[in-house]
Amino acid sequence: MAAGGYFGRALVVDAGAAAARTLPLSDGLLRAYIGGAGLGAWLMHHLAPPGVDPLAPEAPLAFVFSPLVGTPLTTSAKFAVVAKSPLTGMLNDALASSHFAISGKLTGHDAIVVRGACRQPSVLLVDGDGARVIDAADLWGLSAAEAERRLRERLGRGWRAAAIGPAGERCVRYATISHDGRHAGRGGLGAVLGAKRLKAVAVRAATKVASADPQAVLAAARDLRGRSFGPATAKYRELGTLANLLAFNAISTLPTRNFQAATFAGAPRLAAEDLAAMRGVTRNSCASCTIGCEHIYSARAGKGGKGGNGGEQKVRVEYENVFALGPMCGVSDPDAVLAASGRCDELGLDTISAGGTIAWAMECADRGLIDAPWLRFGDADAVLRALDEIGARQGLGELLAEGSRRAAQRVGGGSAAFAPQVKGLELPGYEPRTMQAMALGLAVNSRGADHNRSGAYEADLSGDLDRLAGGREHVAAAIETEDRAAVMDSLILCKFLRGVFAEPFGEWAALLSAVTGWDADGAELRRTARRIVLAKRVYNIREGWQPEDDWLPERLLSEPLEVASGRIAALTPERLRAMIDGYYEARGLDREGRPAPASLADLLLS
Amino acid sequence: MSSSAGIVLAGGRSSRMGTPKAALEWHGSTLLRRSVGILARVTDGPVLVVRAPGQALPGLPPHVRVVDDPREGLGPVQGLAAGLAAAAGLADVAFVCSTDLPFLHPAFVRRVLRAADDGADVGLPVARGYPQPLAAAYRTTLAPLAERLVAQERLRPAFLFEECAVTRLNEADLRRDPVLAALDPELDSVLNVNEPAEYQAARARPAPEVTIQRFGALADGHRGPQAVRAATVAVAAAEAGLSLDGHVVAALNGDQITRDGQTPLVTGDTVFFLAADAGG
Repeated sequence: MAAGGYFGRALVVDAGAAAARTLPLSDGLLRAYIGGAGLGAWLMHHLAPPGVDPLAPEAPLAFVFSPLVGTPLTTSAKFAVVAKSPLTGMLNDALASSHFAISGKLTGHDAIVVRGACRQPSVLLVDGDGARVIDAADLWGLSAAEAERRLRERLGRGWRAAAIGPAGERCVRYATISHDGRHAGRGGLGAVLGAKRLKAVAVRAATKVASADPQAVLAAARDLRGRSFGPATAKYRELGTLANLLAFNAISTLPTRNFQAATFAGAPRLAAEDLAAMRGVTRNSCASCTIGCEHIYSARAGKGGKGGNGGEQKVRVEYENVFALGPMCGVSDPDAVLAASGRCDELGLDTISAGGTIAWAMECADRGLIDAPWLRFGDADAVLRALDEIGARQGLGELLAEGSRRAAQRVGGGSAAFAPQVKGLELPGYEPRTMQAMALGLAVNSRGADHNRSGAYEADLSGDLDRLAGGREHVAAAIETEDRAAVMDSLILCKFLRGVFAEPFGEWAALLSAVTGWDADGAELRRTARRIVLAKRVYNIREGWQPEDDWLPERLLSEPLEVASGRIAALTPERLRAMIDGYYEARGLDREGRPAPASLADLLLS
Repeated sequence: MSSSAGIVLAGGRSSRMGTPKAALEWHGSTLLRRSVGILARVTDGPVLVVRAPGQALPGLPPHVRVVDDPREGLGPVQGLAAGLAAAAGLADVAFVCSTDLPFLHPAFVRRVLRAADDGADVGLPVARGYPQPLAAAYRTTLAPLAERLVAQERLRPAFLFEECAVTRLNEADLRRDPVLAALDPELDSVLNVNEPAEYQAARARPAPEVTIQRFGALADGHRGPQAVRAATVAVAAAEAGLSLDGHVVAALNGDQITRDGQTPLVTGDTVFFLAADAGG
C-alpha cells in the first residue's frame, strides 16, 4: 500500500437499499490510474453493467478523489464525478474544485460510488459512520445552492453537500452537480443523480490522510505556490477566463450564432475589460488555490435575475458561459448574458450545452424547422425563456432538455448538420476551423466536444504550427495535450496551473512520489496517461461507440471561414480524416480507432 | 489556385556593397531574414534560400530550407535553376527574389504570383523603369529549361523569357490591385540596395507604420489600437512593453500566431498580442 495519499478503498453505496460495501483498491490499481478521472474510468469498467441506461437505477455514479487532495499543494482540492453520460451514452467525467473534495476523501475513501435509486427525494450522507439516506422532500425544487445552504443548516457546518438543481431533478441531459457554486458541469451527471432521486450527496471528514514525505510535500507546495503567482496564471488572476473573448474575436475563433461565424460584432460589449469595471464585484479562489481565477459579477435586476426588482444576483463569470449564452446565441447585452448565466446556476444547467442547444434551436426557428417564432438570434429574453422551459421540461424545453443531437434527430430537416455537438456533447467556445489541432482533439476525445480533456487549442495558439492547416504536427500536439490532461485530471491539479510546469510529467511524478512514497518518474506518468486515455476509449467501445462518432458536425467541414487577413480557413473532411488516421496510428489503434487486443492487458480490467 | 513557394537567391557576391548583403541589418532584422519572412507570409509551400557553396548565412527560421548552388558565379539563371529544381514537386509556382529588397511587400508578391493563375510560366513585373526578374514569379516546371540555358552558357534571364510564356506586369497592371496600390503605391517592393549609399538611404527610411493591440491582462490600461513604427514583431512587442515568450504570442493580421520576434512587418499590418494561456 502506498505510504500516503490513499485509503485503498472505495465506498459503494446502494442508495435504494441504504446499504454500502467497501471495494478494496490495490496499490497497483491506484498506481495505474492515480485517481480522479483515471480511477473513475476504471470504476466504471468495473461497476457499470455493460449497456446500462445512464438514468437507470443500476447505473453507478462515482465521486472520485485523488492522492493530492488534502495536501497543501495549490489547486489540489478537486474531485471528479464520473458516470456514463445521459447526454452522450459514453464515459463522462466532470471535475469541480471545492472543500467537498477534502471532506469527501477524509470520509476515509478514495471514491464514493452511488448505485440504485431512492423511492423519494433524498440526500445521501457519508462520513466516518458509513452511508445513510435521509429524506429531502423539502429540498426538491430548490437550486443547488439553496439546497446546500439548508442542508448545512440542518446537518451542521461540518458537512459539505454536492447538490443538483431543478434541471437535475427533471433529468435534463446536461444538468450539473454543484458544490459551493462550482459545477461538475459537463455531460449531464446531475441528471444521473436526479434519476436516483438524490438531491445531494453530503460528506463529512472523519479522518486524516498521510503523506509519505511531508517535508517534501510542504517544500513542493511552497514552490508551486510561488510559481502560481507568475506570468503563466496572470490572465486568470487579473481578468479571468473571460479575457479570451476579445482576443478570440480578433483571431476569428469565437463561435457565433451557432457556428455561422467566428467573429461577433457585439463582442466588445461583453469584454472582460469593461465588464470588470461595470459589474465586477470581487475575485475568489477555489479551496486550496492560490490562483484566484474566479471573477464574480453582479447581474442587474430586470433581466430575469433572482434579485427581483432592484436587486442584484452574484454570478461567477467564465469565458465559456459568456460565449455560450452570448455570441453563440447572438446576444450582446451584458446584463442579459449575466442573467442567463445566473439562471443556469439556479437551474443546474451546463451553460455550454444549454447555449449550444438553444443556438441550434434558434437556427431551426430561422429555417422554419421548429415552430418557435419567439426564439431568435440576438433576443436575450428568448434565451431566458428557453432556459426556464428547459429547466422545467415544459413547452419547447421538453425537446431542448435532450441536447442538440437528440433534438436534431427528432426535428430532422437536415438540422443534424448544424447541431453543434460531438458524441452528443455540445462544442465549447473554440472554433475548430481556425483551430485545427483543437478540431482533432474535439473529434476524437472520449468525452465528446470538450476543451478540458483535449486542450489542443494550446498548440493552435502557440505559434509553433499553422492553426489553419491541420496536419501531422497537429496530431502530435493533440496527443500531447490529451495526455497531459489525463494526468492532471487524475492527480488532480487545475489546468490553469499547467503553464508553470517546465517539465510537466517529471514534475508531476515528483509531486506524486512525495505524497505516495512511490518512485514514479515522468516516463511512468506518460504511460499512465496513455493507459487512461485508452481505458476511456475502450469503455466507449464497450458501450457502442462507432468510428463515425469520432467526427465533427457537417457544418464545420463544409462551410469555410474567412479570417481577418483574408485567408480562408477550410477544415475539409479529407484533412480531418488524415489527422484522425494519424491520431489512431500514433495511439496504436487500428484504422477504425479500436485497440489491439494485446493492449488491453495493461488496463487491469479483468 | 496554384500552390506557391518562395525562393531567395542569396548567393550573389555583393561586390559593389563590399559586404554580404544577406546579413545587412534593417530595423532590427537582416535583409535575408526579412525576405524569407515576407515570402513565408504569402506562400503556402516551402521557402528556400539558394546560397553559394559554404556561404555563411545569418540566422533563419527552422522551416526555411537552404539549397546549395553547386556552381558559383554563374548569375541569377543558375540560382533560378537550383531553386526551381528544389521547389519542383513541392509547389506549382515560386516567387523568386534577391535578398536585397527591404521594402518588399506581401501584397506585391501576392499580385505577381497571381499571374501564374492565368496560365503564364513567368509573371514578370516591369516597374521603376526595368523588368524585375529577381522579384518575379516562375513556374517550377521551368527548372530543366533554366538548367539547359546554364549548360549553354546563356546566363541572362532574357534568354529564359524567350522560351516560355511571360506575362509582363507594368506599373498600371500592378496598381490595379487595390491592396497593393494602397500599401505600396510607389512600388518600393522592387527597390534593391546594391551599394553602401543605397543601403544607408534605405536604413534612413523609417520602419513601417503598423497597428498594435493588446488583449486581456496584457493591455494593462492600454486597450484599443495604437499606431507604431516597427519592422519586426519583436520591435512591435517592445513598443507595447511586452516581450514574446511562452505566455505572450502575436497574431499577425488576425491570422498566423507567432512567438518569432523576427517575423517581418510591413506597412498596414496589425499585430495582436495575446496571452498564450487560453484555457477556460
